[in-house]
Amino acid sequence: MLSEIAFYGAVETGLIYGLVAFAIYISFRVLDFPDLTVDGSFPLGAAVAGVMIINGWNPWLATAGAIMAGMAAGAVTAILNVKLKILNLLASILTMLALYSINLRIMGRPNIALLNEETVLSPWYDLDLAYHQVPVLLFSIVAFVSLILLWRFMKSETGLAMRATGANARMARAQGIATGAMIILGVAVSNGLVGLAGALFAQSQGAADVTMGVGVIVVGLASLIGGEAVITPTTVWRALLACIVGAIIYRLAIAFALNADALGLKAQDLNLITAVLVTLAIVLPDARSSLVSKLTRKKA
Amino acid sequence: MIRATDLRLTFGKGTPLENPALRGMSLTMAQGEFVTVIGSNGAGKSTFLNALAGEVLVDSGQIVVDNVDVTKLPTHKRAARVARVFQDPLAGTCEGLSIEENLALAIKRGQPRGLTSAVKKQYLGRFQESLSSLGLGLENRLTDKMGLLSGGQRQAVSLLMASLTPSSILLLDEHTAALDPKTAAFVLRLTTQIIEKQKLTALMVTHSMKQALEVGTRTVMLHQGKVAYDITGDERKGLEVKDLLALFEQQRGLEIDDDSLLLS
Repeated sequence: MLSEIAFYGAVETGLIYGLVAFAIYISFRVLDFPDLTVDGSFPLGAAVAGVMIINGWNPWLATAGAIMAGMAAGAVTAILNVKLKILNLLASILTMLALYSINLRIMGRPNIALLNEETVLSPWYDLDLAYHQVPVLLFSIVAFVSLILLWRFMKSETGLAMRATGANARMARAQGIATGAMIILGVAVSNGLVGLAGALFAQSQGAADVTMGVGVIVVGLASLIGGEAVITPTTVWRALLACIVGAIIYRLAIAFALNADALGLKAQDLNLITAVLVTLAIVLPDARSSLVSKLTRKKA
Repeated sequence: MIRATDLRLTFGKGTPLENPALRGMSLTMAQGEFVTVIGSNGAGKSTFLNALAGEVLVDSGQIVVDNVDVTKLPTHKRAARVARVFQDPLAGTCEGLSIEENLALAIKRGQPRGLTSAVKKQYLGRFQESLSSLGLGLENRLTDKMGLLSGGQRQAVSLLMASLTPSSILLLDEHTAALDPKTAAFVLRLTTQIIEKQKLTALMVTHSMKQALEVGTRTVMLHQGKVAYDITGDERKGLEVKDLLALFEQQRGLEIDDDSLLLS
């Protein structure tokens, strides 16, 4: 069975990956822009926040710096696509590749430790809470605020224009929407969220590492698809909620899989489990609906 | 006033598929004129419409809309002056958005969009009023997804969206061609109603010669990328479909003559 600490740990990581799932909702679902920049902007956020923190910056300012760095990375991907006409997927791979070098440059070495530094979590440990509950509380607040802000944005005039851009670009242009600018804004916001997630992850884990971004896109996508299977995304609100719920369920599933002794899985099997879970998350909704249609056909 | 002067546009220049779509296309439309455009396939009807909308930029020539030179402007920068209904009923609306969200997109056509709520309470009365004029009961379905509507309903809403804010010209691109005859007649009737009521300047591309003569105030026939025939007023009233057909055949005959000259 899952220990209390493992449970809170899974929820904590789930909340961070919920932010990544928001980002992937914006790029994949709203803009129909398959963006792999994420694997680079996650460690970018961690690197920027980490370096700023060890240089004595306020951790919240460092986190804001990480958001801006992520937005810049996203803007580069979108500009490669919109202005230079490079295929969106390829544009994001190019940025991701470049970010590996940039992240090494920012940190000056492959990883930096933040164990004894002042982080956004530090003041919260003074609260009368168990050590492992603190990050869950803070990240819940961050995730909730992000959820509300994103929801309001998607309902705003600009947000609606962005949704129209992804759904029907020709119609959007005819309505006077600068679709190129919307793609740049959307992919920038998306990667800003990933930068935020990377910064929080580094601060809660106590380290930033250049390889920490590997597979983040897959985890985010798994959270998004899993969440959509649980909460049908009929409205923007439900779609955003599905991101958070999906990410937490995903992390809990991983934690259970690793903790179940009967399965004999070890930490190094994480990526294998991820791939299996993503496959299931993609296949199951289809399988379920075809099963339902088979059953209803039999009834008829 | 809309003035297109000597528009020229060649697709695939310098390739074996080089296709001169517009070859000196000129047309001046007065305020309040409703022009129907006909022509055989490849005559340049759609290209002309796309050039006016900004979806394609012409190689040479000039397009002036209400004294503003829009020749080099992309679609979204012309949108304040140019409204459009597409041929494909699915193209003019977003199926994933609700009816009120689609209308909210249209009510801000060509205007800057901010961070305030897109579907504002003060819009709803106007949305319901204009939707009820369609007589389809859509005024009670504001929050329904656009994708739930039939093609005809969606085309009617597209038309409504195009006329929700003032424009210098309304472009209709064979917007009844993809509908069944009964729905097509309904959408066409709605079109003429809206254009007359709001005194819009409109340009309608059509495949139907009957439609081209019955609707609007002026008919233009395109051939090989320019105006071949332009009739208005009393002369137009006396014209019948068979007269137009004769004109068509005359042109086709010329083409055949050209070919035979080439082959001999």
